[in-house]
This record gives sequence, structure tokens and C-alpha cells, in this order.
Amino acid sequence: MDSVKKSFAFRLTVAWFALIIFFAVFGPLLPLPNWQEVFDDALSVTPLKQGHLLGTDSNGYDILSGIVYGARISLFISFTAVFLGGVIGSAIGISAAYVRGKYDYVVSTLFNVVLSVPNLVLSLALIAVLATNVDPNVPTSTGRRITVLVISLTIVIIPILGRIARAATLSWANREFVLAARSMGSKDRSIIWRHIVPNVLPAIFAVAFLAIGVVIVAEASLSLLGAGVPDGTSWGSMVARGRNDIEFAPHIIIIPLIFIALTVISCNYIGDVIRKQLDQRQAKL
Amino acid sequence: MNKLGELAKRIGQLVLVLFLVTLLVAFLMRLLPADTVDIMLPGQPEEFKEVIRQELGLDKGFFGYYFQWLTNFVKGDFGSFYFAGGSETVASHLGNALPKSLLLMLYSQIVALAVSIPLGLSSAYRAGTKFDRAVSGTLFTFSSVPSFAIGLILALVVGVKLGWVEPLGYVPMSEGLVEHFKHMVLPVASLSVGLIAAYTRLLRSDVIATLKEDYVTMAASKGLSDRRILWRHVFRPSSITLMTSAALNMGGLIGGAVVIENIFSIQGVGFEIIYALGTRQYVALQSLIALVAVGYVLFNVVVDIASGFVDPRTRERRGLR
Repeated sequence: MDSVKKSFAFRLTVAWFALIIFFAVFGPLLPLPNWQEVFDDALSVTPLKQGHLLGTDSNGYDILSGIVYGARISLFISFTAVFLGGVIGSAIGISAAYVRGKYDYVVSTLFNVVLSVPNLVLSLALIAVLATNVDPNVPTSTGRRITVLVISLTIVIIPILGRIARAATLSWANREFVLAARSMGSKDRSIIWRHIVPNVLPAIFAVAFLAIGVVIVAEASLSLLGAGVPDGTSWGSMVARGRNDIEFAPHIIIIPLIFIALTVISCNYIGDVIRKQLDQRQAKL
Repeated sequence: MNKLGELAKRIGQLVLVLFLVTLLVAFLMRLLPADTVDIMLPGQPEEFKEVIRQELGLDKGFFGYYFQWLTNFVKGDFGSFYFAGGSETVASHLGNALPKSLLLMLYSQIVALAVSIPLGLSSAYRAGTKFDRAVSGTLFTFSSVPSFAIGLILALVVGVKLGWVEPLGYVPMSEGLVEHFKHMVLPVASLSVGLIAAYTRLLRSDVIATLKEDYVTMAASKGLSDRRILWRHVFRPSSITLMTSAALNMGGLIGGAVVIENIFSIQGVGFEIIYALGTRQYVALQSLIALVAVGYVLFNVVVDIASGFVDPRTRERRGLR
């Protein structure tokens, strides 16, 4: 396993992930122009020209500033949705698998029902309903759109991670050490917290990384469809805004696309490494 | 008798899931911040809105509305898009949209299988070699790149810069096969890349496991050619895994198709969903989303039954349970 951790690809992945998180956290401190500042004298400038490292788009916005600010929004949405979805989903999944019986039946049926609406379609439906204003002429504010996006994607993530948590708990709940703890008179609450959760957590963690990737793609897709964050605030909406300029200034959409793709690749790779490590640990047991 | 009971139980489960899914979608549409008709038809006279409300059953409470909608839905009446001047039925829109979406997904699945089966078999056969590592690495990267990114870049490079194919629109088969496929190349390519990666990775690990089985050694010791062993003895059991994976990936494919249809201006079901959303047609939206979910559930059931036919082992296992 150590060889994987020391491999060039893994280091590169972690470095990229760290860079994006750095952008998201310390972005405002970087010596960059404001992401909403318009450079009238530099429209659709290609990268490395006129002092713009990644160029500007057709409105004269600096693309690097947009990427840095977009990292903040895109990562905020995906981390929050996966964290909330993970906590709620795990709580439901673990308790269902531990209690079994009718409760478990109801939970698994509900998970199945929600999972039978494809991810993107479900989040589209939720956003369509939650972000609607009664008056069609009043646009929904960006803040409300982000909130709605987080809620919708959380609802999408709950059954995905909940199912993993349920399956993992099922495989641990009848092990000898749980039986032993029970026969020694431990309470259910302490068995769950001390014996089940620590064992189930790594499996959830591995899938959570994949889920972050899924949410970044979903957020971008929704923005591309006009249902996500507007005005180039996130990476997805930068792509959406640059779509009309694809013929004469392709770098406007290619740069955010590269950032989306590399971040998703990193998430999947890290998740994959955690999962492999987990399989090896389980094989040893 | 036992088998019949098993069948009845599964049909019961299917009906329950379909009922709950449609209920969920109907419930979602009730989360609107105001009255549905007020939102759908802003600025229309109150009497007109009242007529629509009664027509839709929205005056009968949630369950009254739901059951009226469900009854119509089962009969094939999916409601209407309402405009200031009148209405168009969702069914008439679907008549145009559904074939496009179905063809798009069918082509993507066919292309994905046609590429991933030989690729998966050969990389498993040469597991550990440079070829295998190159294929695995490339596919891992491509499995993570979202289909809309591939679509946009293909549209840019192949469609705009090279001008080889038409990047936008849809041409039905009746207007010329060549034009039809020329318009489908880019959308299908964008959707199938992710599937190719998923299927090849799965097939590779499956085949590597199968190659260690005793019956493969037996076949080899009888002097059968490697090619024959791979296709007849090794690939066959793996085809079940592939089918299950195809079903699992269907949800992602549907989502991907929604975006790809919008990028390439193909007026399929995904395009209609976005149209209903943009024009605030929540009744049509409810029917369209319910339709997608029902189709997805039924597809999974069909795959499940089909894999039972292909592999008697899963049939037995299910019988024992």
C-alpha cells in the first residue's frame, strides 16, 4: 500500500486537491483582480497575454480570478452536500441495519424509491420546485440558488451513502466482537458508537470522495442546463457562460472544464486508493 | 407453486416502488412556494385559472389530485403544456422526443459494448503488461471526465475546428441514414466514453478471475485455442456482470443524456424536461420526470429477468432465497 501512497500519481492527485482547497479557502487573500472586475481593454484575451495568467472571457472578466472564486462555490456546494448527506444517510443506514425489522424495510424501500429517479433528474426537479419565484420576472438570488442546490444535492446523496452505510453495518453487526460486547451487557448506543461506527466509517469515507466528484459534476451539469448557479459564480456556470464563445475563444470554457475534470479525477483516485486500502485491511482480518 | 409465489412477490414489490416513485414526484411538485396554476399561468384571469385547476383536479386536495393524475398517467394521458393561448399535450411532444432519446441511449450502449468487450478481454488476457497498464490508466482518467466536458470539447474540435460532422441538431433516419449518423456521432461518443471505461474495467477484473478457474485450465489442456477459450468459456459468464453493470449505469446515462441533448440541440426527453422547467410547466414536468423514473425502474427489472435467463445460477440462487 505504501508504494501506492508514494507513487507519483498519488502525490500529484493530493497536490492538486490541496491546491483547489487552498484556492477555496485563501482565494480572497491572493493578489488577483476581483472576479467581477471588467477589463474593457482586454476582452477574450488568451492565456498569458496582457497580464492575465489564464486570459479573460468575452465580458473582460479575469478567468483565473473566476476559477479561484468558483473553487470556493463549487467546493462549498459539494463538500456541504456530501457532508450533510453523509451524516444523515449514515445515521439512517446504520440504525436501519442495526435495528432490522420493519424500520429497516421502510428505510430500504424509501432508499430504492429515491434511487429510482436518476440523480440529475431528481436534483433538477428539486431545484425547479424550490428555486421558483411566484413572479416570473423576479430572478432568484444567487444565495438562494446555492442554498437550494445544496439541499437538492444533499437529498440526492442521502440514499447513496445511506445504502453503503446500511450494507457495511449489516456485515459488521453480527461479528463475534459485537456479540461479545452485547453479552457483556453493553448498551446498543455504545455498541453502535464504539464497535460499528469505527468499522463502517472507512467504507463511507471512500464512497464520500467519489460522491464529491459526483456532486461537482452534477453542479456543473445543472449550471450548464441553466438550473444551477448563474453568472459564472461556479466552475459549471463559467462553462455555461462561455458556451456561446466556443468558436472564437475556446479557452473560456476549456479552462473551467479542465479544472472540473482534474478535480473529479483526483476525488475518484483518492476514493479508489482508500477503498483498496480498506479491501487489503479486510483481507487481513 | 413456489416460483409463482416468488413471481407474485416481485411483481408486488415492483408495483409498490412504481406507486411510491410517482407519489414522490407528485409530492415534490407540491413543494412549490405558491399555487401550481398561479405559477404556471402568471397574469391570466382568475376564472381561466379556476377552470384549469378543476381540470387538473388541483381543487381536490393532494391525494385527489394525485389519483386523478395517476389514472390519466396509466392511461397514457400525461397532461399538457399550458400557454396563454391554449395547450399542447405532453404526449404529442413525447411522440417526437422519446425516439430521439431512446436511439441516443441505445447507440451509446451499443458503441460502449462494442469497444469495451474486445478491450476488456484483451487487457485481461495481457494483464500486467504495458498494454494493460496503458488501457487501465487511460480509462481511469476518462471514467472521471464528465460526459458534457467530452461533448463540448468534441463539438469544438471535431465539429467546429475540423468541420467533419454536424455538431448540432438531429436528423431522423427517414431523411437519410448518413445524415442521421453524422449528427449522432458526437453525442453518442460523449455518452459512451464513460460507459466504455466502466464496462472495460469491470470486464477486465471479471475475466482475470475467470481465467484462474479450473475449467479454463481444462479447456487449455484439451488444446483449445486461446481465442476460443476467451470468447466461449471466459466471456460468456462475464456477460451477466456486464448486463448488471449496464443497468446500474443507466441512471447516469439518462442524466448524461439530459445534458448532452441540450448541448447538441437534440430535442429529446431531456430537452423537454428543461423546456418544461424553463416555461414553468410543473404538470408536464411531473409527468416527464415520472416517466423517466418508471422507465428506469422497468429497465432494471427487465435486465434482472434477462440475466436470470442467461445464467441459470442466479435463477437457482433466487429460488433458494
